Amino acid sequence: MPAGRTWHDRHLGILFVLPATLLLVAVLIFPAFITLKLSVTPEGGSGWTLTLIHYQKAFRDPVLLQTFKNTFAFVALSLVGHFVLGLALAIALNQALPGQTFFRLLALIPWTIPDVVAGIIFRWLLNPIHGALNPLVRMVFPGFPAEFQWLSSPTLAFPSVIFANVWRGYPLVMVMLLAGLMAIPRELYEAAEVDGAGRVRRFVHVTLPGLRMIILIALALDMVWEFRRFALVLTMTGGGPGTLTEVLSTLVYKSYFQFFTFEYASAMAILMSVVLFILSLPYIILVGRER
Amino acid sequence: MSPAPAGSARLERRLDAVGAYSLLVLSALFALFPVAWMLSTSLKSEAEAFALPVRWIPQRPTLQAYVDMWTLKPFGIYFWNSLVVSGVTALLSTAIGALAGYGFSRFQFRWRTALLGGFLATQMISGVLVIGPYFQILAAVELYNTLTGLIIAYVTICLPFAAWMSKGYFDSIPKELDEAGLVDGASRLQIFLRIILPIAVPGTVATLLFGFLLAWQDLLWALCLISIDEKRTVTLGVAFTVGEFIIQWPMLTAASLIASLPTIILYLFLQRFYVEGLARGAVKG
Repeated sequence: MPAGRTWHDRHLGILFVLPATLLLVAVLIFPAFITLKLSVTPEGGSGWTLTLIHYQKAFRDPVLLQTFKNTFAFVALSLVGHFVLGLALAIALNQALPGQTFFRLLALIPWTIPDVVAGIIFRWLLNPIHGALNPLVRMVFPGFPAEFQWLSSPTLAFPSVIFANVWRGYPLVMVMLLAGLMAIPRELYEAAEVDGAGRVRRFVHVTLPGLRMIILIALALDMVWEFRRFALVLTMTGGGPGTLTEVLSTLVYKSYFQFFTFEYASAMAILMSVVLFILSLPYIILVGRER
Repeated sequence: MSPAPAGSARLERRLDAVGAYSLLVLSALFALFPVAWMLSTSLKSEAEAFALPVRWIPQRPTLQAYVDMWTLKPFGIYFWNSLVVSGVTALLSTAIGALAGYGFSRFQFRWRTALLGGFLATQMISGVLVIGPYFQILAAVELYNTLTGLIIAYVTICLPFAAWMSKGYFDSIPKELDEAGLVDGASRLQIFLRIILPIAVPGTVATLLFGFLLAWQDLLWALCLISIDEKRTVTLGVAFTVGEFIIQWPMLTAASLIASLPTIILYLFLQRFYVEGLARGAVKG
C-alpha cells in the first residue's frame, strides 16, 4: 500500500470512531468530572474553593454506612441466589431430556419482566391483606400471623427485596452457565466415567474447571448490575421502612433529586463508584491476563 | 461387591432424570407464580381484587382494567413515547456503534488500544454518578422534558456494547473485501456502507435488541429527565401509578403486563442472539 493511503487511513479511523467517542465524553465522562468537582465544592459554593467536608460527613453518616451494608448484603445474597439457582437449573436443562425447550422458556420468564414491574409484582404479592403470599404461607403453616406486613417488617422487609431480586435475576446467570455447559465436550464426562469417577468427582474435576471462565464473567457482570440496581427497590419499598432497604442508587437519587443536597449526593456517588471499581478489579485483572 | 456397572449407571441416569424433572417443575412454578398472580388480578374487577378471602382465579373475569388503562390513564401516550424512544435508541446506537466498530476493526491509529479500553471502562459508570450534571446540561440547552434528551442518554449508554459487538463481527469479515473495494476506487465510507454493513446485518440484531430493551426497561433516566405527563415513558407511568395514594391494582397489573409484553416477546424469540452476543462481548472484554 502506498504511504499516502496509510497516512490517510490513520486519520479516517479516528473519524469513524469520533461520533461515539464524543457522545461518551459529553454524556458520561464530562458529567462524571462535574460530579467529582461538585463533591469537593462547599455547599452552594462555586468557583474553585475546594473542601473535603462532604467526604468527612460521609464517613460519619450512619445512614450512608447502613446503605453501604445493605448494598453489600443485597449484592452478595443476590449473587449467591442467582448462582445456586442458575447452576442447578443449567445442569438440569443440560441433560437433553424431553420437554427441555419448554422448561427453558418457562425458567426465562422472570428475565423478560422489566425490573420496575418486578418490584410492583412483589409489592402486590406481599400485600398483607389482599396479597397472595400470606394465604399461601398459612396453608403450610396455619399458625402464621394472618395479616403479616412483610414490607414493613424490620426483619423481613430486606430479605423480601432480596428474594424478589433473586427471582428477577437468576435466568440470565442460568443461560450464561447453560451456554458454558453445552460447550464442555461430552467425551470428557465419558472418559471420567470410564476412569471410575463418581458424579461428585465429575462435577469437581470436569464441570467446574470447564465453567471457570464463564462463572467468573457471569458473576462479575451480575455484580456490577446488582450494585447499581435501582427500579426494583424504588417501586417495591422505596427504601423503607426507614432506611432498612435503602441501596446506594436510591440513596444518591433521593439526595440529589428529592433533597437537593447536590454536593453531598455527588460525594456519595463518587464513593459508590470507587467501591464498585475496587470490587471489579480482580475481574478486570483476571480477564486481562487471560486475553 | 458393587453391583454390575451397567445397571448402576442406568439407575443413576434414571435418578438424574427424576431429579432434573422435579427441579424443573418446581422452578417453573417459582418463575410463573408471581406472573400468574398479576394476570389473575388484571382480570378482576376492583371489588373482586379486594374481596376476602383472596380469590386465586377471578370468578367474574373482566377486561375492564385493560380498557381503563387507556381511558382513565394516558397509557396510550406512555406507550407511544416508549416506542419512539426505544426504536430511535436502537437504530442510532447500532449505527453509531457500527461506525466505531468498523473504525476499530479496520484502522490502526494513535490511541486505538486506549480508546477501546476506555469504551469498555465507561460501562462501569453508574447512572447516578452522572445523571445530576447531565440533567443540568439538558436544562441549560433546553432539552429537559424532551424525548431527545432521553434518547441521547440511552444511545450513549448503549454505545460501548454496540461498538464492541460490531467490532467483533467486522473482525470476522475478511479484509480482502475492503481491499477489493479500494482497488475499484470506492471510498472507505462507501465500502463500509455498501459492502461491509450489508454482510453484517445479522450481527446488528443483537445491538438493535440491546438498545431497544435498555431504553424500554429503564426507569432512572426517565425519572430524572422527564417531569411532565405527556412525555412519560411506560415504566415511568407504571412507577407513578404505584406511587399514588389509592392504587387501582387491576389497572396497575394490567398496565404492567402490557408494559412487559414487548420485552417478553423480544426476549423469548431472540434470546439466543442476545445471550451469544453477551457472552461473546463479555469474553472479549
